[in-house]
Amino acid sequence: METREEPGRGEPLVIARAGDLMFASTRRRFVQRLLAGGAVMMLPSVFSACDGSDDGNDNPLGPGTIPGPVTGVSFDLRSDVGIFRLVHTLEQLEGAFYTAVVASSTFASFSAEEKELFVDLRNTEIIHREFLRTALGSQAVPDIRGSIDTNVLSTILSSRTNIVNTARTFEHIGVAGLNGAGKYLQDARNLLLAGKFASVEARHAAALRDISPPAGQNANTAFAGDDIIDANGRDVKLEAGAVLTRVAATGLLRSGTLASPAITAAPTAAQGVPSADFFPANP
Amino acid sequence: MEEHQQTVLDGIDPEITERLVSRRDAIRRGAAASSRFAAGIAMASVPVALAALAKESFAQTPADIVDVLKFAFILENLENEFYRAVLGTSAVAAQNNAFAPVRALIPDAAKQAIQQIQKHEQQHVDFLKAVIPQFGGTVVTITANDFDFTGGNGTGAGPFIRATTELDFLLLATQAFEDTGVRAYKGQAGRLLINGNDNADVALESALRIHSVEARHAAKIRRIRRARNPADTSLRFSGYVRGGGIAAAGAGNIANPPAEVVAALNLIYGGATPESNTQHVVFNGTSAVMIDAATLTGLDVIDATERTAAATQAFDEPLTKDEVINIVKNFIKDDPARGLP
Repeated sequence: METREEPGRGEPLVIARAGDLMFASTRRRFVQRLLAGGAVMMLPSVFSACDGSDDGNDNPLGPGTIPGPVTGVSFDLRSDVGIFRLVHTLEQLEGAFYTAVVASSTFASFSAEEKELFVDLRNTEIIHREFLRTALGSQAVPDIRGSIDTNVLSTILSSRTNIVNTARTFEHIGVAGLNGAGKYLQDARNLLLAGKFASVEARHAAALRDISPPAGQNANTAFAGDDIIDANGRDVKLEAGAVLTRVAATGLLRSGTLASPAITAAPTAAQGVPSADFFPANP
Repeated sequence: MEEHQQTVLDGIDPEITERLVSRRDAIRRGAAASSRFAAGIAMASVPVALAALAKESFAQTPADIVDVLKFAFILENLENEFYRAVLGTSAVAAQNNAFAPVRALIPDAAKQAIQQIQKHEQQHVDFLKAVIPQFGGTVVTITANDFDFTGGNGTGAGPFIRATTELDFLLLATQAFEDTGVRAYKGQAGRLLINGNDNADVALESALRIHSVEARHAAKIRRIRRARNPADTSLRFSGYVRGGGIAAAGAGNIANPPAEVVAALNLIYGGATPESNTQHVVFNGTSAVMIDAATLTGLDVIDATERTAAATQAFDEPLTKDEVINIVKNFIKDDPARGLP
């Protein structure tokens, strides 16, 4: 792995696939992108997993060619479309993550129960991702697999504990985000759709806590433990900004993938007003 | 892309279609129409006009909030009193006594899970009881005496009576109650969507947060049931609902289930939008489209033979209020004064 400074940004540019720079066309694209303002990121484990092959079939992030990194994704939450774009981003991350989990060497050591669970998770998140891509059409968030930090991903994939903890985090962000976003939706059909997603994410979240409760939680009640259900019997909930903060904290999305700020317009007062978040440090 | 524009018409449920028609009549009579309706109609673009009408016709009233909360209150009481009877903590001795045989069969781990679930149902009851008056509603009085957990409408000898003596039957009934709760909240959420009404937002957000807790409960019970029946892959370790109707219940370990129970499970996992549904409507800001989740592009990584099952699992489906009432009516003794059923 080589690193070079990206001009004008001061962030190290990671070149994932050393062999790529052997190709004149790749070098050309590389230099062009650098000159164009530094949207280039190359991914280390793409290199190791693909061994220079361009078809990407061995790529942990999924079959087919992984597109280049995406930058500057932003969300205008004044419409249902904008809110679903944020959900689409989450589903893309989850789909890519679970695809990589199931393809990882660590997965082979999972129990039969865990294998079934994670294949179900992967399939669901891929369907959610592709459903939203279709639904959003031209407004869908571009394929962000190329924006996943594969160093971070590799570290997570190296242990069952890391995988389960990350999965639990993602599913709880998903539940909390959908629970927080519902009030801003303006069309009842879209609210119903969000509800169809939300309870499925809650099933994931419960199953993951059931197989691997966070430290200090009773294994028999962790599926809906007192740390994630409030005194009124209500589940986790996050406003959109907090969702993105939690996503950033996973380290899986390279900086620059999302615009800064990522939320260019908050929901209007007519859509709804923010409420207090409820989310533990370690869901 | 698998968008089927024509299903703008097919995808909207009949009740809404009726309202569309009445709204259209209203417009024809010269009632206020937004420029969007007018534009759609002027262009003679039926789908656009319908989509615009549908959006505006969903408008709910504050009365809907109270109705939804009162409905939820009754269902939460049903669940809460059921668990109290199972655990032996009901205020009514007869309810506790009825479940004594099965109670002795519940392993400690499952008992702890059920206690946790019961705690949440009590919290939901208390929360709704506190919130309904804030919206101007009156809380009806409900006690354990109002319920017949055998589904016998007061006889105490209904089709679910085996839940009082058989652990697997009890767990199936528990799962069915929880999944009904998930589907009921999902079906009512749209009635809490009142644009520009902050109070409605509060009710909606709480309902959504209770809805996902019910889904956690259902998932946990499914996992307990799967552990008891490892070969029954219709009960997913993921806690998902796979397929629809009786197949989604995972009732394979119940010997000779009564026909009434099979019929009830077909209602609980069936309905106008059964759990096996893979087609979902989305309004993209311009038009409503129906998309089939089983035939999307980009599903390559999913085994082709698994895609339809995966698509049913990936979306939980709603029940209408009438469908829920039809399911629970025999668990709630007739009492017109109480208001339901």
